[in-house]
Amino acid sequence: MMSIEKTSSKYEKPIPLKTIDNKPYWDAADQHELAIQSCEDCKRAIHPPGPACPHCGSPTIEWINYGSDVTGTIYSFVMTYVPMLPGFQHDLPTIIAQVEVDQMEGVRITANLINAAPEEVAIGKAVKMTWIDITEDRALPQWALMK
Amino acid sequence: MWDLSGKYAIVGVGESERSKNSGTTPLHLALQAARNAIEDAGLNAKDIDAFMSYSEHDSCTSHQLATYLGVRPRYVKDIMGGGSSTELLIADAVSLIESGQATAVLIFRSMNGRSGVRMGGGGWSTDLLQSAIEGGSFIIPYGMASPSQWFGMFATRHMYEANLTQEHLGHVCVSFYEHAQRNPKAMLHGKPLSMEHYLKTSHLSYPFTKHDFCLETDEANAIIVTSAERAKDCKSRPVFIKGIVAREAHPHAHYWSDLSQVAADYVGERIYENAGIQPEDLDVASIYDCYSWVVLRQLEAYKIASREGLGDFVAQGNLKMGGKLPSNTAGGMLSEGYTHGMNNVLEITRQLRHEYKGTERQVEGCELGLCTGWLGPDAAGAMILNN
Repeated sequence: MMSIEKTSSKYEKPIPLKTIDNKPYWDAADQHELAIQSCEDCKRAIHPPGPACPHCGSPTIEWINYGSDVTGTIYSFVMTYVPMLPGFQHDLPTIIAQVEVDQMEGVRITANLINAAPEEVAIGKAVKMTWIDITEDRALPQWALMK
Repeated sequence: MWDLSGKYAIVGVGESERSKNSGTTPLHLALQAARNAIEDAGLNAKDIDAFMSYSEHDSCTSHQLATYLGVRPRYVKDIMGGGSSTELLIADAVSLIESGQATAVLIFRSMNGRSGVRMGGGGWSTDLLQSAIEGGSFIIPYGMASPSQWFGMFATRHMYEANLTQEHLGHVCVSFYEHAQRNPKAMLHGKPLSMEHYLKTSHLSYPFTKHDFCLETDEANAIIVTSAERAKDCKSRPVFIKGIVAREAHPHAHYWSDLSQVAADYVGERIYENAGIQPEDLDVASIYDCYSWVVLRQLEAYKIASREGLGDFVAQGNLKMGGKLPSNTAGGMLSEGYTHGMNNVLEITRQLRHEYKGTERQVEGCELGLCTGWLGPDAAGAMILNN
């Protein structure tokens, strides 16, 4: 596993672990961009990324960068009033939304919905991807309601 | 239809004391449960030649249990697992006996689920969680580490599509708590739940309140499986395995990648054909209830109600005594206790034996029961039992 530098920041929440399969996703996130794996054979998008295509089993996969203009609609969500992991006690409730991404078919990305009140959250609402710098060299993709 | 239908039976069930703090080890609890199951079957410990368990590193081993029952086992197996492991191991027991590896199998789950290792979580290394869970890096950094959130993500979407409200979750809770009032051994015996009170309870993790969560208890359960032939030597009334689907899985190990389906959908496709019956034939059920919503989703998966009819099904009291399908009649994991599903299997076995005959707890004349297991949206199993 990669070592993680936690000394540069007081960020208490878990930092995404980069692995052999997901590194391009998190490397792009650090640059405030979205990269998604795609199957070269069946052409379908793959998320989360893995060592092969889960749709057809093909080992031939590529990465496509979608840049920083990423939008979608809320597909489902939970709102948690007790912290389940370190760091989440500071901004309860933890709102976690799974979002259908407009830019590619079949991809739903889960992240926190930030700067939203519980009563504003609903399935079908439009959101935009935004990136929060969590350490000097790491950034975390999040969702924000379109105003 | 399954060609072993009716050829194997549950002949013994037993449990330990149930509490919030056992003050003892899982091995002691497992010994209590095993002795009670053996006594219930009218067997001697030495008649059991195979021992199997499931746990999440919070139990004793099968070999330890056999040792202190004074038995040298021919076969021991301990698997990692939670919900649906009972059905998985019962199917394994049938295979072992059928292939001549064993003649009588004892399966147990023992846990200090409240005073020891709690399923609700806490205290794990977050790096470990990210590595241990498929696609863990895509949920753990967002604070999504509890089954209430994992299943809740499915629940919110499903409730939206099926027009289910908080009140419908409440009907599941109220129905099962009502059963617990007839069960003096239930943790929430003496603590009935009204819909009014339920609806006033705040969310722990939307869409779930504390009533929608299962309990955490210290407890062990044990089940003995043998052949129908051998069951004739037992003192208990055998409950036969009419059909079983040991396990089905979601298409993706990162099951959040598709919230529109759960593993139980695949079990529901096979179980009735396997047992040679229809959903309408069922008299009683034990439906895995780690959360209230999980019951609603399984009612759909097992074709007991249509997606459109789910809300009405529970609102009409069909899970209660006298309803279309009295379910989790000891109170279920929501209000009786929690041994990762096995307590629900004990209860349906007792119902099908008519052990409560003459009391208001008996589902009058029941002959056919469905017992479901839910590890999560990722894996599930079920069996159909008859007397």
